[in-house]
Formats: sequence, C-alpha cells, structure tokens
Amino acid sequence: MSETMTPAPPAAPAPPAARPTNRVVEALWLLVPYAVSVLLAFVVGGLIILAIGRDPMAAFESVLTTSFNTRFGTVETLHKWVPILLCAYAFAIPLATGKFNIGAEGQLLVGATGGVALGILWSDLPTIVLLPCVLIAGALGGALWSGIAAFLMVKFNVNEILSTVVLNFISFQLIDYVASHVWPDRGAGHPATVRVGDGALLPGIGEAPPFHSGVLITLVLVVAIAVFMRRTPTGFELRAVGANLRAAQVHGIKTSRLAGAGLVVGGAVAGLAGAIEVAGVHGKMLEGMQSNFLILGIIVGLMSRGSMLALPVVAFGIAVLEVGAGSMQRTAQVPVEMVLIIEALILLFLLLSDIVRAKIRGQ
Amino acid sequence: MGEITEFLTLMIPAMVPFLLAAQGTVLSGRAGVFNVSQEGLMVLGAAVGFLVSFKVGSNTVGLGAAFAIAALFGLVLAYMTTQLRLDQFVVGLALYFAALGAAGLLYREVIGVTMEPPLIPTLDDYPIPLLSKIPFLGEVLFDHDLVVYAAFLISAVIYWFMYKTRSGLAFRSIGENPKAADSLGINVTWARTWSTVVGSGLVGVAGAYLPMVYTGLYTEGMVAGRGWLVIALAFLGGWRPHLVVAGAAFLAGMEVLALRAQVAGIGIPHQFVLMLPYVATLLVMVFAFRWARQPAFLGRNYDRESRLVG
Repeated sequence: MSETMTPAPPAAPAPPAARPTNRVVEALWLLVPYAVSVLLAFVVGGLIILAIGRDPMAAFESVLTTSFNTRFGTVETLHKWVPILLCAYAFAIPLATGKFNIGAEGQLLVGATGGVALGILWSDLPTIVLLPCVLIAGALGGALWSGIAAFLMVKFNVNEILSTVVLNFISFQLIDYVASHVWPDRGAGHPATVRVGDGALLPGIGEAPPFHSGVLITLVLVVAIAVFMRRTPTGFELRAVGANLRAAQVHGIKTSRLAGAGLVVGGAVAGLAGAIEVAGVHGKMLEGMQSNFLILGIIVGLMSRGSMLALPVVAFGIAVLEVGAGSMQRTAQVPVEMVLIIEALILLFLLLSDIVRAKIRGQ
Repeated sequence: MGEITEFLTLMIPAMVPFLLAAQGTVLSGRAGVFNVSQEGLMVLGAAVGFLVSFKVGSNTVGLGAAFAIAALFGLVLAYMTTQLRLDQFVVGLALYFAALGAAGLLYREVIGVTMEPPLIPTLDDYPIPLLSKIPFLGEVLFDHDLVVYAAFLISAVIYWFMYKTRSGLAFRSIGENPKAADSLGINVTWARTWSTVVGSGLVGVAGAYLPMVYTGLYTEGMVAGRGWLVIALAFLGGWRPHLVVAGAAFLAGMEVLALRAQVAGIGIPHQFVLMLPYVATLLVMVFAFRWARQPAFLGRNYDRESRLVG
C-alpha cells in the first residue's frame, strides 16, 4: 500500500507532468489485475464448460448480455444489485475493524421479519408513515441479530465468525415459524407470510416493468457510507483499528467496543436489505428469500479489498453475472452453479495477482 | 429397547460427521492452518460421495472419491497458504464458494432433473462379534456401520500421534511457534501441507457419510451448517482430539434430541426444537471461549525469512 503514495520531497517538487503519469501507472497497477483475473476466470470456466460438452461462447454471451438486452434484464440486475451490495457492506464494515461477519443472511431475514411484521400489523397506514417504519424495523431487526454476536464478542470474547454463522441457522427456523404459524399464507404452497399492506410497498420508478425505489435508497446509502468512513471521526477510528489494531489501542481508541459497533452497523445494513426485499420485490416474506446473497456479499467484499468505493461497482458486476446465470442455464444448458465457480476463481486469481505484481515490481 | 439405549444408539452415528470433520480441522489447525472451507467441503463430499456411489454401485468407492476431491481442495489451500502465504481465511472462503459451486454443478450434470430422486443403499451394520452381545453397551457401541468404527479409530490414531509420539510433539510445536520448530529442523511447509490435505479429506468423508447413513438421498441443504458447527467444535475442544470426541457427542446429542422431540410432538413448534443444536452451540461458546486455548499460530502463515514471530 505504502508504495502507492510516493510524494516528492517537499524541497524539490516533482515536475508537473510526472504526477499524472504516476497516477495513471498506479491506477493501472490497480485495475489490470482485476481485468486479468476476470479474464483468466472466464478462460478456466470456459474450459470446464467445454469439458461438460457445452458451448462456452454461447454461455458467456448470455451471462454477460442478459442484463443489458432487455429492460426486464436491467431491472432485474438493479434489484439484485441492492441486496448483494447491502450484504457486501454488512461484510465489509465489520471487516474494516478486522471482524468477519458471516451472518448477513440471518440479519437480512430477521430484518425482513421486522419489516413484514409492521407491514402486516399496520397495513392500513398510508405509505408516508408505514414505509419508513418498515425500513427502520428492518434495519433494527438486522442490528438486533448482529447485536447478539457483537454482545457475545465484546462481553464473552466469543469468536464472531462462529456466532454470526450459527445465528443464520437459528434465523432460518425463526422465519419458518413466522411464515407457517404467525402470519401464514396457507394458499402459497411454500412457507410464506400474507402480503403486507399497500402502504408498505416501495413505489416503482420508470415505465413498466418499473424498478423499485429501494435502488435510490441504496444509492443514497452508498454516498452516506463513503462520507461516514472518510469524513467522520468514527469512520476514521474504524479504519484505524483495521489498519493497525495495536496502534489504534495505544492512541486511546476503544477498539473492542468499536468492533462491536461495526458488527451492529453491518447487521443494520443487511436488515435494511431484508426490508427492501419485502417492500420492493416480494411484498411478503417467504422462505428462501435470502437466496445466496450472503455468499455474494462476501465475494464482493473480498474482491473490493477494503475499498468502500469499489463495493458498488463490484456488486454491480456480480449482479450482472447472477442475472446472466439463469439465462445461461436456459439458453446454453450450463448449470447456474458455473457462475459461482467463476466468481470463486476471480477471487482466487485476484489473490494470486498480488504475488505476481510483487514479483514484477521486484519487491 | 429402553429410551436411553435408543437415544445413545442413534447418537453414535450422528457423531460421525462431526467427529471426522472436526478431527480433520484439528489436525491441520495444530500445524497452524485454519481451514474454514469445511461447509463447502462437506457439501462437495456429500455430492461426490453420493454420485460416485450411485454410478459405481459401491459406497466404499464413494467415500474414497469424497476423500480424494476434498483432499485436492486441501492441497490448494495448503499450497496457497504455505508457499504463496495468502490469507488463510480468505483462501478458505474462496474454496468454500468453489466447492459449493462444484457440488451443485456435478449433481446437475450427472443426475439432471428427475421425477424421482435417485437413491443409494445405506451402509450396512456390522455388529462386532462377542462385543455386540454385551447388554446395553454392545447395542449402543458395537452394532454400527464400519464408518462409525473408523471415525473413532481415526480419532484415537490422531490423539496417539499428537500426544504419544515424538513426531507428534514436533508437529504440535509448529502451530505454537513455527520459527522455533523450523530452527529444530522440522519441515513446517511439509507438515502443514500433509495435515491440511489429510484433514480436508476427512472433512469430505464426513460429508459423504450424510447421504449414506440416513436416507440414501442427496439433498442440497443436507449439510445444514454442520461444517460451521465443526469449526466451533474444534474451538470448544481446545483443538485436542480427545475433547473433540466429547464435543461431538454433545452436538450429536442435541441433534438427535431435536429430531426425537419433533417426532414425539411435544407441543412446542418444531422450528424451535430444530434451533436447539445451534442455540446450544452459541451458549456453550460463551463458556468455552473463556477457558479453551488454541494454537498460538493458528491461522497465521509462516515466512522463514521474516523476522517477526509471535
């Protein structure tokens, strides 16, 4: 990291032309590994597709173009982008303090439970009152769920990786209970709650099919989180703890409490994702609505390597792949799991690129 | 058969996946490699074990194939963390995703969409002559399939290796202080590599056991977080093979209890009963993390050219 910032000595300022080229070179050192990793992952993925006797070119064409070919594909991509990105934040914010939150799906589900509860109980209220309540309840639900892990971590030193994971499995049973005993929709043929009131639904935007306004909420959140991490004392402390725990401790930052706070905030973001899924996509809570957002969030978080600015971009790329996966299975008969393998390969190649880069630069 | 006998008889096979996977985790952990891909390796082991058994018609070959594929993933983890010194946790997660993807892909490719899910025969019981005739104990301990005996035998062998042999002492020292071990001429890279390969293989076998013992079916969610519970189990057992056996008994007991309570229908909604193993794990962790110790170098890579140790 340190070599990316090579300020010229103050006595002899660098010639004006040198700085921009330096920046370009540094940007290339940052971006080329991403491009090469993606390319290599697709090459290896293509070989696997060849090995099972399908056409890799047809598969990749539908993976990469479905999001942009039709308005429906674009809307679908935006709708996937929201929970993937929010789950990525749920992973990346605690990671800034060195803590691993593997519980985004549990937090998402409990957030969805909170949202759906208000959406059903207060279903007569108008949008202007009910919708904010639903979203806040979602965030609180998620914060409560990760708060359990944070409490156990701060008070009893319980490893947060294990507690957040175990809480996922408890949440599966919890929403199964809510969907089959508390507000069951008997006609659904699948554990699901009844629909929330109209006032709880996020308004759609644009011509049919519209995308839900949760996309805008997410955009606002992207800016807010970036500002929070860069411009507030707490954000600075968060980053300081992640960069060097001991140094942060020595400078009087209450690291353990901060790590707990990071987990709670991460959980709140995942819970908000749950509420947005209820209010924007499903209109109710149903079993399996967490999809594979946990895994995708972790993948996005790890690929972004601590950069809060990279998260939305990487999340969009993953959303494109995920939307493409379904159509790849239909048109090229390549199972959807292929995309997960490619994503894991991108991550592995990205890790390897560090070593290659260090070798090339002669460290 | 008494209630207690029946409970214990069910608990012993339920221990096997926990036991095999946790001993695998402990094995590499004591050399300092913290594997977190268990959940993925168990799913992959279950899929490969099932598919190979289904195609070849032999559960033994299926178990072997599950070991091999998971060991291969372990080799990748070992290479990337010992030779390339990449972050163990991140590589482990990447392998977890890759294993999940591979499991789904293989099942879809080999079986495809069918009206009736394919079945494999479950493992036969082999009562041990004489021993199985002992009242109570015989029934509980000595009337199971061969993998059950193997799991306990493997636990004993790992314990014996770690605590009763000289090379085991050397092996354990790597997880505590690799630099000191290295200076004594112990090959850190080799020890970490073989233990990760063998350990991951055991995790794969643990997964393959699941479709072979209960229903003969493979379902996507059948591992149900056991891979993560196993990591908790390694911590609870303080990374000691003999304590891990006790922990596995606890988790398996909770699992059987939840199943039986569900069948018996005791007024409580079954969802809350099914939470039991997870809630119990969470509660036990509160106490365990106060006293349980772990290898000092767990999860950290060793660079012999670095001056920083400890």
